[in-house]
Amino acid sequence: MKKVIMKFGGTSVATGEKIKNLARLVADYARQDYTIAIVVSALDGITEQLIEATEKAEKGKADFIHLFKQQILERHFKAAKVAIENKKILKEIQDVIQAIVDELEKVLIGICYLKELTPKSSDYVLSFGERLAAPIVYGALRDVRLKTQYFSGKEAGIVTDSNFGEASPLMDVTTHQLKERIEPLLEDRIIPVVTGFIAATQEGVITTLGRGGSDQTGTILGAALAADEIWIWTDVDGLMTADPRIVPNAKLLHELSYQEAAEMAIFGAKAMHPKALEPAVKSEIPVRIRNVTNPGSPGTLIWKNHVADKAQVVKAVALIGDVAMINVTGSGMVGVPGSYAKILEVLGKNSINVMMISTAVSEANISFIIRRNLLERALSTLEIALLGKNAFTQVSYEDDVCVIATMGAQMKGTKGVASRIFTAVAKRGINVRMIAQGSSELNISFVVKEEDGEETVRAIHEEFELYEN
Amino acid sequence: MRIILVGYGVVGQSLTYILSHSRLSNLKEYGFNPRVVAIVDRKGAAIDSKGLNLREVLRVKKEKGTVSVYPRGGKPGIGSLEVIETVEAEVLVETTPTNIENGEPGLSNIKTGFKSGKHVVTTNKGPLAIAFPALCELADYNKVNLRFSGTVGGGTPVLEFAKKCLLGDKINSIHGILNGTTNYILSEMEDKGLSFQQALDRAKQLGYAETDPSMDIDGIDPACKVVIMANWIMGKKITLKDVKFKGIRNIALETLSEATKRGKTVKLVGSIDGDCKVEPTELHRYDPLCVSGVLNAVKFVSEFAGEETIIGRGAGGKETASAILRDMLDIRHNLANKLLS
Repeated sequence: MKKVIMKFGGTSVATGEKIKNLARLVADYARQDYTIAIVVSALDGITEQLIEATEKAEKGKADFIHLFKQQILERHFKAAKVAIENKKILKEIQDVIQAIVDELEKVLIGICYLKELTPKSSDYVLSFGERLAAPIVYGALRDVRLKTQYFSGKEAGIVTDSNFGEASPLMDVTTHQLKERIEPLLEDRIIPVVTGFIAATQEGVITTLGRGGSDQTGTILGAALAADEIWIWTDVDGLMTADPRIVPNAKLLHELSYQEAAEMAIFGAKAMHPKALEPAVKSEIPVRIRNVTNPGSPGTLIWKNHVADKAQVVKAVALIGDVAMINVTGSGMVGVPGSYAKILEVLGKNSINVMMISTAVSEANISFIIRRNLLERALSTLEIALLGKNAFTQVSYEDDVCVIATMGAQMKGTKGVASRIFTAVAKRGINVRMIAQGSSELNISFVVKEEDGEETVRAIHEEFELYEN
Repeated sequence: MRIILVGYGVVGQSLTYILSHSRLSNLKEYGFNPRVVAIVDRKGAAIDSKGLNLREVLRVKKEKGTVSVYPRGGKPGIGSLEVIETVEAEVLVETTPTNIENGEPGLSNIKTGFKSGKHVVTTNKGPLAIAFPALCELADYNKVNLRFSGTVGGGTPVLEFAKKCLLGDKINSIHGILNGTTNYILSEMEDKGLSFQQALDRAKQLGYAETDPSMDIDGIDPACKVVIMANWIMGKKITLKDVKFKGIRNIALETLSEATKRGKTVKLVGSIDGDCKVEPTELHRYDPLCVSGVLNAVKFVSEFAGEETIIGRGAGGKETASAILRDMLDIRHNLANKLLS
């Protein structure tokens, strides 16, 4: 008997059809002697709609609420109607949906009156997406004659700190409660359906886990219940050596170490956020990324015992677009303690995240990469704060660049990796603008002109023979 | 320091006795001025925000069976959680009876104490055996101390010995006779040739064993202590489910006499040495662990300091209450440091 936590993302529960498909898939595994617990996200797009609704409500315009409520109700009613054939179960689920949506309406009206949206109330509103999805999945599972029960993350026993919007689990308390509330169900072969993304403080106030939150619910359950594996069901086969839109013969990565997987978080939406991976890493539970529309594919296995192919120094390469490079120059920075810190502090205080940094030992300039949509704010802030002071003489930028990230645990200690990368790039006549490699040696990132980005990815993919043979 | 005392049995009453009789020396030597602002028993509570008259409360309890009829501030029917939430205090002392099924009411009492920002001293093994890692995490999260010296060794400072006296050393294994009742029974069987039942009856007569002695003789009580030591001293995140335990209920007199012939003796030993377990174990007669009667003994083997054994009485109201006092002084010390820094 194998104990598996299955997490289904928003696209896997986007419609009634897909939820029905999910139920069939789960039933298949349940018949094959798997003990299963399920984590579900909100229906695709619902979380975004909820965010939008909170923003409108904060402005105090109550008139949109009625229509919004109808939309949410209809979307979920429709999904339930398609996913659940049994009329009695359907009625039951529709009543549940109605009650939850009524509650949502009240909360939004409350925000309208107060014209105030705190992180606390925002989390409360966002939790409705998952809370509405879980009963439908529960109904669909009952419809295919599975024994099941549904819980919000709070009811299941996931406890976090009170950092609303980006809460962290209190893992020992959570483990204790999940063992008490969820484990007995697994022993009785009842499939618990738990809402992803949402939890509660020790006082029972609803929190959300932030980015990668639903995946994290999956790994939290996996760690607490000592699962054999955690499966993240999505709509692609797994993580790839490169974006197949750029490199048509990119290959599926069958195995990765936890560290490599964490490095790949930047590679795109289908990768796992390091925070979400953490509970699995700590308790050494393998995570598998799998495709709902192609369950025959083994997907990507992320685990500790991954046996690395020594020859494969670079495993994957990605292009990170929508970025801009800023250079700060000034001979006065040379040898002055704290001058870099001043720059980074100014950016940090203005909530501008620095993605990559490079400086030379001459210390006369520092270059860094930020998201492109923050460029104007960053420039203006830096100019106001720094220029005119002796140390800094110039702030310049380039907004037509992109970052190329290469990843592979075997880079560590292997000589000549950088040389191969940059030779391959140079052969295509591409100029490298900026380079960074941390001493962990798990990755080398560098910056090229945006127009050269895709060509650079292909050059590296080819140099390290990452393609399908 | 203001104290809420929940659970007013033998240990709780001994504590109030000690506090009322050593008030001056506490104040003089430790600058410790304990004020018990609430005492809760099964039937209600006695509450006085300025501090209860402990001699008076003790008298009421002895005469009427409950503190809830205390003339100034007696509240019949009020529950412990309400008292913990609403009465202002620095420390909650939790001495309700051990329940290893779900840890209640201790578990909820302690959690509520944390949530309302109170430091907790407990002698209740149930919540710790069931949820040790969770309780420690909650205490940290709420920035309060959780202390439980009295749960292992009674008044004998077993936990502090390992945690403080062996600081910096790495403890590789722990073996201990952790339950006085069973050790008394085994000693009686061995020395006087009594059967298990006879020895148990005698233990009951002397008040060493409870009417329902299963916590002791089935090895549950020492298993709880193994959980506490494994977590606190060795940093293992385990609960009672992870301890294999076997008691002495089925031990035959012959087993003991056989061992005696070989210069050995059988004791109920709890151990943390790779795995965690409690079971009747043969010891050499001259093993330092080999104590008789109601004594407890715990042997630590550490990386550098080698082997140390600490011996003392493992139970008793006053003994356990003295451990609570120690914990409270420790908390007072931490609090003072925090306030002055």
